[in-house]
Amino acid sequence: MIKIENATKSFQGVNAIENLSLSIEKGEILGLLGANGAGKSTTINMLLGFIHPDSGSVFIDQMNVSEKTKEVRKLIGYIPENVNLYPYLSGIENLDYFCRLAGMKYEKRELEKFLITCGLQNNAFNNKVSTYSKGMRQKVGIAIAYAKKTKVYLLDEPASGLDPLASNELSILLKKLVAEGATILMASHDIFRVREVCDRIGILKKGNLVKEIRSRDVSANELENLYIEYMKN
Amino acid sequence: MWIIIKNELYSLYRNNALLAISIGFILALLLSILLGMVQAQNHTKSYEQAKNKLRKQWENIEGMNAHGAAHYGTYVFKPYDLLNSLDEGVNSVTGNVLKLEGHVQNEIVYSEASQMQFISKFGKLKSSLLLQYVLPLILIFLAFHSISSEKQSGRLKLLLLQEAKSLTIIWAKTLSVWLYGLALLTFTVSIYSLINLENISLDIGSRLLFFYLSYALFYFIISGLTVFFSAQYKNATVALTSMLGIWIVWTIFLPNIVMSSVEKWHDLPSRNEFQADMKEDRSKGLDGHNPLDERAKDLEAKTLEKYGVNDIADLPINFDGIRMQADEEYGNQVWDKHFGNLNNILAKQKQSYQLAGIFNPFISLKNASMGFAASDNYHHQNFLKQAENYRRRLIKALNDEHAYGGSKTGDWSWEPESDFYKSIPDYTYKPMSFSYSAPNYLIDISLLFIWSVLTSLFMFFGARKMEII
Repeated sequence: MIKIENATKSFQGVNAIENLSLSIEKGEILGLLGANGAGKSTTINMLLGFIHPDSGSVFIDQMNVSEKTKEVRKLIGYIPENVNLYPYLSGIENLDYFCRLAGMKYEKRELEKFLITCGLQNNAFNNKVSTYSKGMRQKVGIAIAYAKKTKVYLLDEPASGLDPLASNELSILLKKLVAEGATILMASHDIFRVREVCDRIGILKKGNLVKEIRSRDVSANELENLYIEYMKN
Repeated sequence: MWIIIKNELYSLYRNNALLAISIGFILALLLSILLGMVQAQNHTKSYEQAKNKLRKQWENIEGMNAHGAAHYGTYVFKPYDLLNSLDEGVNSVTGNVLKLEGHVQNEIVYSEASQMQFISKFGKLKSSLLLQYVLPLILIFLAFHSISSEKQSGRLKLLLLQEAKSLTIIWAKTLSVWLYGLALLTFTVSIYSLINLENISLDIGSRLLFFYLSYALFYFIISGLTVFFSAQYKNATVALTSMLGIWIVWTIFLPNIVMSSVEKWHDLPSRNEFQADMKEDRSKGLDGHNPLDERAKDLEAKTLEKYGVNDIADLPINFDGIRMQADEEYGNQVWDKHFGNLNNILAKQKQSYQLAGIFNPFISLKNASMGFAASDNYHHQNFLKQAENYRRRLIKALNDEHAYGGSKTGDWSWEPESDFYKSIPDYTYKPMSFSYSAPNYLIDISLLFIWSVLTSLFMFFGARKMEII
């Protein structure tokens, strides 16, 4: 579903990612671990079509993102670290607004269903988003992607700043989405969460994918040691 | 696009600070319109009172020959145009009372500025001030962070992923800010129309429509350019600074620089120089009050020949009246020559100033606003021209009465009947029709259109070059 082939991208002469290749199958979650500046966000922005690789190619559902940006974006849902919704609208109004932008008009009942699926509690639907916690906003963000019938979810540091309960709810939600056939790329610092949620884990360092492993092959401690080792070298 | 516009308008509606500003602005606008209308009513009332009193005096002139009445003269008052409460233009500085008398063309006096208390000379609350300076500033403050805030919050990515196009977002943001400006403008014009409902003719309606159009275009330019800057810069402060810089240059520096340059390019003679030239030319003509004047002697000879008599005492008419009228007509020629030149220079100055709208749409807005509100110098000159034409007809009628009314040459004690004075129509100013004056502002409205198209192009290229990250 997601394929990156030898992609290189530099900003002002400095390589943000270098010769990066990776692929994610349908129904799979890949976690990208890396320090700040490792190239995680650049990778996601390339997949979103907001930046294009200087060399190499990026594909989603076999479509070259640089060439078919518009078509590709129809398949993508993006959940940034901070889902900044319109604070003067309620959760359900935000969802309705973003759905309408994408040309989808849902009944209130359907919108509520999306929010429930994404874990938002009923009594919060009609509250202004300005009163929401970070985790609640994230759920609405995922609901926006979900309502769009997204095939690919790109998450940039989704667990950052979430309390353990919200973080756990996020893990459950992501697994549910994958069970429904979604493909997920999750960039994170959170080794424990990545290991728990993802099928595979890639370690990015200075724009290079230095290690790729299956989650089930390592324990949380082993993964932590491995990550630290790569970061030190 | 409408979905985004609706959301933007809702965000404006939810903005308490903006709500307070809007209410304050509306109250100030209402106050300025009402003050303007009270001023117009007071002006019209005093004008009518003075006019009636003068007419009564005129119709009951006694102990004065006809030429004496020409020296006695009369006063005309510049009427307050209905649209002046929207933009009073040059009216507050040009004066509104003009004495009409024989031999001289007086200057209009009693300007509002000359009557003001010192403190109010610094400026008063005017609709034009609010519409031209305050409202564009509000639009700038509303628009400067419209795109940059979406970028900074990361919402822009979400919007684009939901298939909203950059250009659509820029247009929607511009239009929502513009619609807010239009709402306040519409409110102003509607209130004004409602208050003056019974006086609104097709002519006033057309003026109002173009007045509205000029402001609507200017607000679009301001909104569009501010959103363009907001899209170009990641930092909203840079966008705000850029647009405020442009606004200051447009409203403060450029108009003054352009006006000073235009005055240098098309130099007007100084007041002393002008009066000295007029006096010199006037001295070359016939002196109506001096029977020994050489030209007066020539005219006398021609008149004697015309009537087939040898002595002025044998004339069946009063030659003094003919001589006075000849003096008047020569004076009129001198006035036409000098004021004609002056008007040509003024017209060139106006044209050059209008062309400066190429660099500054604010200049075009000011010209169009004053022009469509019938309060610019062009309309003022039209009043002066009509007053001068009336003066000429009046003085000619008086001199003709002196000459042909029944008296003989040298008989300065002969007085016309009061019916004669009553037969002279009072001065009535005919406002310039919209269709006649409108072509003068074609250049301003065209430049505002061109600027709007340019702004659209900026928005188009801005969308293409907009950095999302």
